[in-house]
Amino acid sequence: MASSLPDSWAIDISFAANGLEAIEAIKAGKGDVVFLDLNMPEMDGYETMAYIKKHDLPAVVIVVSGDVQEEARQRIKKMGAIDFIRKPIDNEKLSEILVKYGIYDGNTDSSNRANEQNKSFGDSLEDKLDAFRELSNVAMGQAGERLARVLDKFVELPIPNVTLIQANELAMTLASIDERQNVSAISKGFIGKHLRGEALIVFNEANVATLNELMGRQTDNDQPSDLEVLMDVSNLIIGACLNGLSSQLSTQITHCSPMVLGTNSTLNDIVEKNISRWEQVLVIEIAYSISHEDIHFELLLVIPSTEIDVTFRQLLFTKGVVK
Amino acid sequence: MSQTNTHKAASWQEALISSIEVGVVVLNKDFVVEEWNQFMENHTSISTDAIKDKSLFEQVREINANWFMNKCQPVFELQIPVFIIWEQRQYLFKMHSARPISSPSEYMYQNVTIFPIINPANQQVEKACMLVYDVTDEATSKLRIEGLNDKLEVISRVDGLTGLYNRRYWQERFELEYKLIFRTNKALSVIILDIDHFKKVNDTYGHQAGDSVIKEVAKIITKSTRETDIAGRYGGEEFVAILPDTSSDNAKIVADRIRTTTEAACILHDGLEIKVTVSIGIAQFSVDYLTAMQWLEAADSALYKAKQSGRNLTMVASTKV
Repeated sequence: MASSLPDSWAIDISFAANGLEAIEAIKAGKGDVVFLDLNMPEMDGYETMAYIKKHDLPAVVIVVSGDVQEEARQRIKKMGAIDFIRKPIDNEKLSEILVKYGIYDGNTDSSNRANEQNKSFGDSLEDKLDAFRELSNVAMGQAGERLARVLDKFVELPIPNVTLIQANELAMTLASIDERQNVSAISKGFIGKHLRGEALIVFNEANVATLNELMGRQTDNDQPSDLEVLMDVSNLIIGACLNGLSSQLSTQITHCSPMVLGTNSTLNDIVEKNISRWEQVLVIEIAYSISHEDIHFELLLVIPSTEIDVTFRQLLFTKGVVK
Repeated sequence: MSQTNTHKAASWQEALISSIEVGVVVLNKDFVVEEWNQFMENHTSISTDAIKDKSLFEQVREINANWFMNKCQPVFELQIPVFIIWEQRQYLFKMHSARPISSPSEYMYQNVTIFPIINPANQQVEKACMLVYDVTDEATSKLRIEGLNDKLEVISRVDGLTGLYNRRYWQERFELEYKLIFRTNKALSVIILDIDHFKKVNDTYGHQAGDSVIKEVAKIITKSTRETDIAGRYGGEEFVAILPDTSSDNAKIVADRIRTTTEAACILHDGLEIKVTVSIGIAQFSVDYLTAMQWLEAADSALYKAKQSGRNLTMVASTKV
């Protein structure tokens, strides 16, 4: 974000990791203009906005988010944010907004800040995991928006959980899935020069009927089979997510044919029957939910740990950090 | 037909599309066919000439137009590839499988990928390309393995002679029921049953007659218990059953039904009529049993008492309340 702000705009920039820190910073007079993310740990964007409004804190709030659903935009604007910019940030849009609200109307070039920011790009594992979190944050937002449009429901987006684990620990990372519940899982491999891995979608079996109904409302076909509905949702979510990753990384990805890993069995059973390699993997876990309908399902992007550097380097390349 | 196509191929790319062992179909936004390769021609018997520039649905009757247009929506509107796999439906195009005799399926199993073709000039999706893969062998072997696994699971659980659960599996279920009962607070009883003087049956009539007796008693147990009861063959002439939602009083009714039915039965073997009786021990679950085995041993002691008291009897273990 900071790397998109115009160079000649004379400002001090403070960073906050969550809503609580942001509020502290505003109270300390460090936040006349606040660029607020919706997906944050501890206190999210909505809660932060509500606090700012309630206590009438002196800050102009512009939301910057990977959640690109129309309802998210409407909600937060109603709460008092003056505008909404989607991630990844389009610099022209940003300057338009700054001019529109009379915040800044000077030179819009931001290359110095961008370079400054890029220099600070670390090389530690934590930095790399952060980069994957941000990558998937944007991709999952796009995927969520597609699904919301098809289902005509607001889809809640969590913060992607990024961890490095052994493949056999996969079941344990699925936070929203109860081990006693029956689930269905679909897998799809994806491969490209700069990104390789496997996407898994795990559905709670109890949700299938509701999903069926939601999808059914959209089409007036004869009742589709359970697997048909899961495939429709998987196609949409995985497809949009991979498109999001591929455009951010400026790389082409081949989507492989999906496979059903199991239906109506326990997660442990599915993992036991299907995980046949034990290498270390990077897991990006995204727990989508539609709370009005009590629907929860998880998208997992599993990337072999040996591939992390390939993708990370390409990300730096697209940002212009390395040539 | 194939000859003409090969001759028509103007470039190696066209020759490739024509000869590749994958169905290739290009559709425009109105689902009019623009490309239909040789694989499609040969497997559907619809010639390229017949289908080109015509609606897909006009020529291919097995595809439901509404359903398919819905499927393709993400391709045209969101630039997202769509996959239809054999697990959700066996095929999109009804084609005979490639090997008429040795293939286990009459019709082909297919995986279908539909992806957008983006016009580089305006970044719009104007066409979709559909690839049809023959996955018959993969699908049928997977189905065969699943079928075998199901059979194996049954075999590993069931006693061959009687069709009741075998000792290993029954014990597993018994341990599980023991664990679960702590949560539910319901009555739960176990019965153990032994054929009286079975050795004498074997010695008098032979082992084959012994087997007939065991089978007959197993049948009586199956008929006298409910579907939710879990009956097993515990050893040679020894049987067990878990009776959910059943107090020892009610278990005794079931046990006595088994006992009197057995007593009344004439077991025919090789023209001979064999009469047997059974002794039964019952124990209702109580928290005093610290392990599943302690509970089963209580039933076994009751069975021992029944034997001691003259056989052809049902005895209930006294609970230490």
